[in-house]
Amino acid sequence: MMGMTEAHVRFLNVTKRLGTTLAVDRVSLDVPEGNFTTLLGPSGCGKTTTLRMVAGFYHPDAGEIYVRDVPVTDIPAHRRNTAMVFQEYALFPHMTVAENVGYGLRMRRVESTQARRRIGGVLELVGLVGQESKFPHQLSGGQQQRVALARALVVEPEVLLLDEPLSNLDAKLRVRVRTEIRSLQQALGKTTIYVTHDQEEALSISDRIAVMNQGRVVQVGTPQEIYYRPADRFVADFVGLANFAPVQVVAPGRVRLDEVVLPVESAVKPGPALLVVRPETVSLAAAAPTASDRPALRGRVKTVAFLGGLARYWVETVGREWIVDHAAPGEQLLSGEVYLTLAPERMHVLYENEVTHDGEGQA
Amino acid sequence: MGWHWRAFDAPGHPGLAVSEPVAVIRWGEVRRHAGDPGVALAFAGAAVMLGLFVLYPAFRVLVYPTLQDYLEIPRSLRWMQAARNSMVMMVISTLTATLSGLIFAFAVTRPDVPGRRFFRNIAVLPIFAPPFMVAFAYILMFGRQGLITKTVLGLDANIFGWHGLWLVQTVAFFPLAMIIIIGVLEGINPSMEHAARNLGADEWAVVRTVSLALARPGIAGAALVVAISVLADFGNAVVIAGGFPLLATEAWFRMEGLADLKGAALVVAMLIVPTVCLFLLERYWVSRRVYTTVTGRGSRVERPPTHPVLKWSTFLFCGLMSVMIGLVYFGVVAGSLTAVWGRDWTVSLAHWRLAMDRIPTLWASVKIGAMAGVITGVVGVAVAFLTSRRLPLRHVLDFLAVLPGALPGVFIGVGFVLAFNRPPIELVGTPWILALALAFWHLPMGYQAAVATLKQVERSIEEAATNLGASGLRVLWDIYVPLLRRAFLGAFTVSFIRSVTNVSIVVFLVTPGNIVATFAILNMIGNGIWGGAAALTTMLLLITFASVGMAQAVVGRTMRSTPMG
Repeated sequence: MMGMTEAHVRFLNVTKRLGTTLAVDRVSLDVPEGNFTTLLGPSGCGKTTTLRMVAGFYHPDAGEIYVRDVPVTDIPAHRRNTAMVFQEYALFPHMTVAENVGYGLRMRRVESTQARRRIGGVLELVGLVGQESKFPHQLSGGQQQRVALARALVVEPEVLLLDEPLSNLDAKLRVRVRTEIRSLQQALGKTTIYVTHDQEEALSISDRIAVMNQGRVVQVGTPQEIYYRPADRFVADFVGLANFAPVQVVAPGRVRLDEVVLPVESAVKPGPALLVVRPETVSLAAAAPTASDRPALRGRVKTVAFLGGLARYWVETVGREWIVDHAAPGEQLLSGEVYLTLAPERMHVLYENEVTHDGEGQA
Repeated sequence: MGWHWRAFDAPGHPGLAVSEPVAVIRWGEVRRHAGDPGVALAFAGAAVMLGLFVLYPAFRVLVYPTLQDYLEIPRSLRWMQAARNSMVMMVISTLTATLSGLIFAFAVTRPDVPGRRFFRNIAVLPIFAPPFMVAFAYILMFGRQGLITKTVLGLDANIFGWHGLWLVQTVAFFPLAMIIIIGVLEGINPSMEHAARNLGADEWAVVRTVSLALARPGIAGAALVVAISVLADFGNAVVIAGGFPLLATEAWFRMEGLADLKGAALVVAMLIVPTVCLFLLERYWVSRRVYTTVTGRGSRVERPPTHPVLKWSTFLFCGLMSVMIGLVYFGVVAGSLTAVWGRDWTVSLAHWRLAMDRIPTLWASVKIGAMAGVITGVVGVAVAFLTSRRLPLRHVLDFLAVLPGALPGVFIGVGFVLAFNRPPIELVGTPWILALALAFWHLPMGYQAAVATLKQVERSIEEAATNLGASGLRVLWDIYVPLLRRAFLGAFTVSFIRSVTNVSIVVFLVTPGNIVATFAILNMIGNGIWGGAAALTTMLLLITFASVGMAQAVVGRTMRSTPMG
């Protein structure tokens, strides 16, 4: 666990009940200064509720949130400096772009020439110079999103909160805007908490990801840790695609899958376990490979989907089915009998009794 | 509760909710529908009906006086005075009723104002009251013989006159404003308020810079609707205004006292100038400026907390108004059971016995109300179906169907007298003239309820039916009729209740063979038979609430059987 002073925002056993459901259940999480942390999880997992508690829209039933070691749960929302970008932007429809962006400054009674300068500055930052006197409904979705971002940034918040800010944009724009948000955040060094249910978005944008399920933080880690070393089956399943196979760890580094013994580097403790294999870590060949240290599984292609940059195969081996991604497949797709080779260093082992982590920072 | 508030939205006036989508005429479709003889026939029929029962009476009123008569209006002292008084009442009653409606709407849309559900339910009660009832009850409570003024406080108060009317119209019409403003405030995405707080606005600043600022066009719309109702208010004015001349009552005095048809026509013609202006302003200007539906309803988040001062002051105000509403019902029921109001407070059933003698008038009311309800329902649903087609001239049909909302009841009353008192269509003396006048006056409510229901129908459902080979009328029968049963029932109920309790049209069209209950009550009040009037009013209320309850039960059942929300 990290020391008190290193965390910019710190959740300690935060619990929140909404109606009869336990929306957030004893969440503890540290967000370091300047860090981009994403709360990732399926809808109803408590991620938005957690974010809203930072903003002060909800009061936790138990636990405490600290910002720079100061407990904030009793500070009303309007006195916290935690500007938020809302999922539906929540731009004021009766105000122009400049008035929207300047709203927080007006509430802070910032003197008008200074306010104008800051509004100009932040609009330049998000590329909206010249749109000052337009109303939100005259802007495109992407532009509205930038106004929302500018409105949050202009007050120089202690922490920037983003609640699924890209979900109202179309797929192409989403990718562009998320790159922009990330580079803006890095340029400003702003501590940011970001909420999304989109695992690809989370992987691409975050310094750290906290995966949530049923109100609990299940795992905290870098995108790579989350992807390659998921803490439990839920994380493995929710983040990316995965093949699961029940195995028996027979010796350190060796597991038995059905009748085959495979080398798996992460297998340490003997006993029953679950093997997690990412589709792109499996190699696929039409003929049996010759290297003897990596036994190949013989299978048959059931179906294949050509996705451009990769081909996704569903391959049936004895008693199970594998999803295998073949990068840069070219024009010739495989069919019929194929051989699967699993990379010992890229597979992950989950032990059956592996419980979910309690959310202590691992980073 | 729920649907009937919508249906009661702005009686006689189009709600803010309805706005026509921009017309894109697809000629292929037009040809296809125009070629359907059933639809074409229905269209022609609806146009003839609306022309005959909406346009023709209005036309008769306007051309009845000569140009010379119009030019002499400014020289008539009494009419100019009535016009000035009507304007003054419009301004002051609209202000207080809209402000009260705003405070109520604010309170009941906050999650943390105590008693908000109770306030919301009690505030709609005046809408179900016959249009003279608030005035009548307040005479009993606050008049010279008033329970509160004389018996409790020992005052010699005179409630007759403009100040009494002001109080009465405020209580009677604030629910209209409330219902409209509730719709507007609920349409404001709670995220707006959260965003404002998030950016540093305290509870006061949120209300001032966001909630009220966003609701401003809606509040203006509510004020216009209230203003039309105040101008057209006949029932309360005739009971409590005393010697204070007003346009709405002047028409009746001309006709009743002096048999001066020309004078009556002149006065109601003066009255529709402001009401039609307000109506057009509301429909084509204010309702285009409502922000709230732009972003739609966002996530289901509660609104942020209300400032304690704001919370408790609105609570106090709503409590006070609720007492005033309670007194309306209490006064009438108590009046029917008290031996001699103001002197002998023993309980007595004598007034009920007297009222029993007038039971035939209640039956006449129910019969005429049912006729009006059916006509409103059928015509409203049919016209709504026709205007939802992409037919040429559908905007004309739409306009005619909402136009009666701009016309005061006294205008319709005089119009029907002038239009149907002689061949070719002689209806005076039959129940039909009452039923038709009431039905077409209430048409906008039925029509708009049906339009709202039709908007829920996915266009693709109909296209699927057409695609499978159904003709235009067949589509109406198979797809729309089941869905429109609710709209019909809503239109029927609203029209029925308002017809049964109507006075402004009734006073012009009753004949000795067709005395209805409200007319009998009005006469009893005029002759000082308060107990009997109170008892008959209570019976009328029972009918009203029973029909609301029945409609609720039926709608509840059909809603369960049809998956459409």
